Order: sequence, then structure tokens, then C-alpha cells
Amino acid sequence: MFRNVTNVGFTVLAVVGAIVLMEVLLYLFLHKTLKFRKALPIVLIAPAVIGIAVLILYPIVYTFVLSFSNMNLSNLRVSSGLSHSIGQFFTNIANIFTVPILKQQYFFPILLRTMLWTAIQVTFHVSIGFFMAVLLNRPMRLRGLYRALLLFPWAVPQVIAVLAFRGEFNYEYGYINTILGYFDIEKIRWLTDGVWNFIAVNITNIWLGVPFMAIILLGGLQSINPTFYDAAEIDGVSKFQRLTNVTIPLMKPVMVPAIILGVVWTFNNFNVPYLLNQNELETTDILVTALFRAAFLEFRIGFASALALIIFLILLSISLILLKVTKPDIQFQSEKKRLKEGETL
Amino acid sequence: MKSKILVFFLFVCILPVFAGGASEDQNSIVLWTNEGESEQALDWLNTLAARFEEQTGFALEIVSKDTEALREDYISASIAGAPPDFLWTVNDHAGPFKTAGLLDVVNDMYDADVFVDTVTFNGDAYAVPISAGNHLMLLYNKNLISSAPNDVNEFIDAAESITGDGVYGLVYNQIEPFWLVPWLGGFGGQVFAEDGVTPTLNTSAMVDTLAFLSDLKTVYGIVPEESDYGTADTLFKEGKAGFIVNGDWSLSDYVSVFGDDLGIAPLPMINKTGEYPAPYTSGKYFMVTAGLAEEKRELIKEFIAYALSAEVQEEMVSAFKRLPARKSVLDSPLVADDPILASSGKQMSYGTPMPSVIEMRAVWDAIKPEMNAVLFSGKSPNDAARAMQETAEAGIQNLQ
Repeated sequence: MFRNVTNVGFTVLAVVGAIVLMEVLLYLFLHKTLKFRKALPIVLIAPAVIGIAVLILYPIVYTFVLSFSNMNLSNLRVSSGLSHSIGQFFTNIANIFTVPILKQQYFFPILLRTMLWTAIQVTFHVSIGFFMAVLLNRPMRLRGLYRALLLFPWAVPQVIAVLAFRGEFNYEYGYINTILGYFDIEKIRWLTDGVWNFIAVNITNIWLGVPFMAIILLGGLQSINPTFYDAAEIDGVSKFQRLTNVTIPLMKPVMVPAIILGVVWTFNNFNVPYLLNQNELETTDILVTALFRAAFLEFRIGFASALALIIFLILLSISLILLKVTKPDIQFQSEKKRLKEGETL
Repeated sequence: MKSKILVFFLFVCILPVFAGGASEDQNSIVLWTNEGESEQALDWLNTLAARFEEQTGFALEIVSKDTEALREDYISASIAGAPPDFLWTVNDHAGPFKTAGLLDVVNDMYDADVFVDTVTFNGDAYAVPISAGNHLMLLYNKNLISSAPNDVNEFIDAAESITGDGVYGLVYNQIEPFWLVPWLGGFGGQVFAEDGVTPTLNTSAMVDTLAFLSDLKTVYGIVPEESDYGTADTLFKEGKAGFIVNGDWSLSDYVSVFGDDLGIAPLPMINKTGEYPAPYTSGKYFMVTAGLAEEKRELIKEFIAYALSAEVQEEMVSAFKRLPARKSVLDSPLVADDPILASSGKQMSYGTPMPSVIEMRAVWDAIKPEMNAVLFSGKSPNDAARAMQETAEAGIQNLQ
């Protein structure tokens, strides 16, 4: 494909040239031919729109189309029996609930595990992250250094961090087991025991995920107007009351989007559960890793596309429910209420 | 003025489009291989390609991929319509690729009489053999183990005598069912029935095999609690293991570590049956993508002829201790007089050819979790064998 630098250079030039050409033609067409007034703005956003359409929209639509097909290893091409039909779509959907997704495991145990995993992760991320943010949100020496250190796990590329952790969980050579060995405690089979592997995956992802939460929450804490705390002090509340009555309610607008993001990301976290589970233990697989195995190890592509659709619907409904329950615009609404009260007075 | 600028602009834009098109190399042939950096096999392959380019003027682009990645990527690339032109890979890829309709028949690309058997479906060859073997064997560290055991009892005695103090009697990849198959053969079992596609996993041979592997750990305590390929390999190289079960691909590496202290033997005879374990044999093969242009196919045929010529095969034998696919080289003194290759060849003679049918995938997938459950969670061999059979049958159903 790209045999040398010249080749790469020409390819890049060709792509740039094609984009500029398209832009010019689009402009000429809109401006000169159609005499359209907003030609320039359209021309300027065109590359982004086209990029998103090609790289994001098309794959989504294609996945949807594939979920109507019987595509698998035996029916990979139209010539070898590939076909699309509405009946096949319902067969695919039905198969998700009646046929093992992995080698042995069915949909619901995997879904339950995914939810457990998401709940554990988000709970730890938010609570440890919040704790760290509170610790950092006060005048102290070397705060910048602590903040930089805290961000460290997030700055390491995830795949590399996870692979490093996999090494540390090695039975013979990993450092946790080596330390246990010094104390004559029985070594742990992190990579072959289902329960321990799930714990290993959780430990790794907590380490990876806390910094992000901590930094976001720290930003939220710093945006709280100190006069609220002054007022609380005048009212003589305890530290705990100050946390529950001032800090947490005022943090809600920051926390809710962060939690929703956390839920979606964790639910869809592929790298950590996949890479730490080198031995393909089914007890560690969550929905997305199961989806990957069905699609790219077994090549049950029609089936996997339908499963992708189901996962999307699950995530969509979780997000909607979370939005509904937590009402992120609570501050805005209470503001409106106060104004209304003022008017009636 | 404005229009002149526009014309100039257009010209500048269009130029590289043509230039880019023209620079597309029509003569480039792409080969994907599962050879990696670790044993310098990839370097050697690149040298072959360079020599071929010198002779013929045609460039070969070689892309190295991990075995599993090659399988996934080849199918994905084929769906996308941009597969490589040919492959240098293991034989069990032929099943899925052939089922998906991606491979060309290669009857005309080599002389079948001159080479060992290849992968055939309905009498047509779908692969050209490069090397024979890829089989597991028993390797031992002569500093710890004085002589090769003849049967399993001797083997266990020898392993037990050195176990302890951080040293294990035996290490092997306890994760992959490829390491279970030889013992299954020794206990008189096979994964498929006579028809070659119906799984036969719930058998007394399988139960015996699982019990045997489990006993090595729980009763005799000669294997580590947990060892994947990398751990087993490292323990052996560090001198912390007497025996290792590993494949012929590891030979050149171990020879460089141990030199004359590396011992090689067939896997020991099973006392209960009097049979020797039967590892799967396969080897590396060329496979050619279906639907290539005739000229490209001719070039590939030329490269295959060059790569499988007697001199190049001899080069491979000396450099990598792999058994060659060309019969004349296989029978030559080069192989017979080399103690390592001779032992490897003896083990291969006990082996069974690895099935290339697509059903094999379902069988691997069925054995793996149950083998893990027996070795790591103490599941009973009887339950595991039954579950394997059910999983394999369901998996084959999914392939239809």
C-alpha cells in the first residue's frame, strides 16, 4: 500500500487536493449557479459533515443493514448465500436471547454482569474521585504536583496501561503475587480464576477511571461560589452538613453528566475486560467484548449486528432514565421557582 | 482575474490526484504471513522477497500478522473487498477461508507428488505446503533431567524428583486445547468421528485425558498452578522447569539458549493404552486469494516455486529447524543426521494431521473453557466432557 514516503506524500496530497477541489466546486455551484446566499458557511462546514457522515453515520447505518442479513462465515457473499430480509432480522433478534452469545454463556448472565461491572465502576470512580477532589480543593503546597500525579493514569495510553497490568497479574512473575509470596500467602490466579479475573479487571479500571472523575469533580468544586460556604459558616453548620447541604447539591450539574458519561463509557469499555482476559474466561466478558467475539472471532456478523443494536437500545434507555431521575437542570428550575415566588410576593 | 486564480487553484488541486493515481504500483503483490520477528523468520522471508525482486523485478510486499489477527483481518479485508493476494500461514486457516469462498484452488500451482500432503476439499488442493510439522513434542533441560522417559510413569517419576524450591517438573501452556490433543490421542480418542465433522468429545478417552492433566497438577504437583505459553516458555528458559511441551517452532530458540543441553523426545507412551500421544501436525502453507488477475497469479506461482525450491527449503531447515515440505529435502541427510530434526521427525510420525474443516473451530471453542474449568476450578472430568460435547454441537449449529 504505502511503500515509501513519496507514496504517502502523494496520497496525502491527493486527499487534500480532492477536498479543496470539492470545496471549490461546491462553492461555485452554490454561489454562482444557485446564487445561494449562505454558500460560504455551507462550504466551510462541508468537510466536517462529510467526514462525520463517512466515518460515523455510514458504519451505523451499515450495521443496521447487516442486522437484517444472515451474514456469517458460510454466507459471506451474495454468491455463497448472503441474503437480507425482515424475517432474518427477527431471527437474529430472537437468537440473541435463545442462543449462546459466547461459547456457552447466554445474553442475560452477560447483561447482568455488565450492569454489575458498570455499577461497581461508577460507584468507585465517583466516590474515590470525589474524595480526592475534596482533598485537593483547598490551599496547600505542591497542589499542582498532586494534580499532575493524579492525572497520570489517565495520561498513559489505555492499552499500554492494561497490558502492563496484565503483566503484574501474572501468576509467577506479577508483582502482587511476588509480594504475597514474601509473606507466604497463597498466590492468586488472577488470569485463570473467573472471580479473581473479574476482580483484576475491576481493580485496573478503577485505577484508570478515578483520575478523570477526580479532575472533573475538582473543576466543579472550584466553581462553587465561596460565599455559600461563608453563609453556611455563619449559620454554624457542621462539616458534614456543609457537604450534604451545600457541596453535593451544587455539584449536581457537574456530576450528572460525568456520571452518565461514566456509565456509557464503562458499559462500553472494551480494552480493559478484553485485554486482561487473555484466557477468554467467559465469566469476565461483558456485552461489548462478547459482541466482539461473536463478530470477529466467530464471524456471526448478522447476529452480532443485531446484538449491537440491542446494546445501543439498552444504553439509550439507561441514559434517558438517568437524565429523567436526576434532573440535571435542577438549579435552573429552582431558580425559576424562586423568581416565581418573588413575583407572587 | 478572479477566474484565473480559480483556474490555477483547480490545476494545483487536480495535479496530485493524477500523480497519486499514477504512483499506484500495479506490480506490487501483497503477502500476509504469520511469521514474526521473534525467530527471525520474518527477516528471512523479507530476504526471500528481496532476492525474488532481484531475479524478476517484481516487488513483494510482506505484512506480518499474529496468527489470530491474520485470520480475523483476512476475512474482514475480504468483506471490504481488499484482501492480500496470498498468504503464508498455518493450515487450520484453510477451513474457514475456504468455507467463506475466499481461496482459490491451487492444483496447478505446484507439483503435488514432490511435496507432503496438503489441505484438500473434495480432492482439490487449497494450499501449497511450505513446512511440515508444527507439532508438539517433549523438550527437556539436560542439566535437570538425565535421559528421556519412555513412558508416562517414568516421566512422572523424573518430574517429581526435581520438583520443588521454585523448580517445576513440567511446564506447558495450560490454557490452549492444542496442548490437550496429543494426550487425547494417546488415550485412544479423537475429536471427530470417522466422517471428520461430527464431534466426539464426550468419550472415556477425553475423561481419562482430563483426569490425567488434572492429576499432573493436583496429585503429583509437578506443574505450576497457572501457566500460559509465555510463562511456561520463560520458566523453561530460566532453568526452572525440567520438561516443557512445546512445538517445533520453538526449537531454534531453545537451541540458542541451551545448546547441547537441550533434550528432545516424543511425548511419553501412555501406560494404560500402550499408545504414544498424537500431537496435531500441520505446518505452514501458501494460500492464494480467489479471483486474482491471471498475471498476478502467474507471479505468485513463480514466487511459490522459488520459495519451495530445494535450496531455499534447505536454508529453512538449517536456520529454523523446521521440517521441509519437499520430500527430497525431508529425506536428505540434512534432516536425518541432525539429532534435533531427527527427534522432531520421530514425534511427527506419531502425530495426526490437524483437521482443516471449519467445525474444528467449534471444537477448540468447546474444549477450551472446560479444560480450564478442570485444571483451574476442579470441575469433574465427566461433567466437563459432557459439556464440551454440547458446546461443540451448538457451536457447529451456529456456523450454518
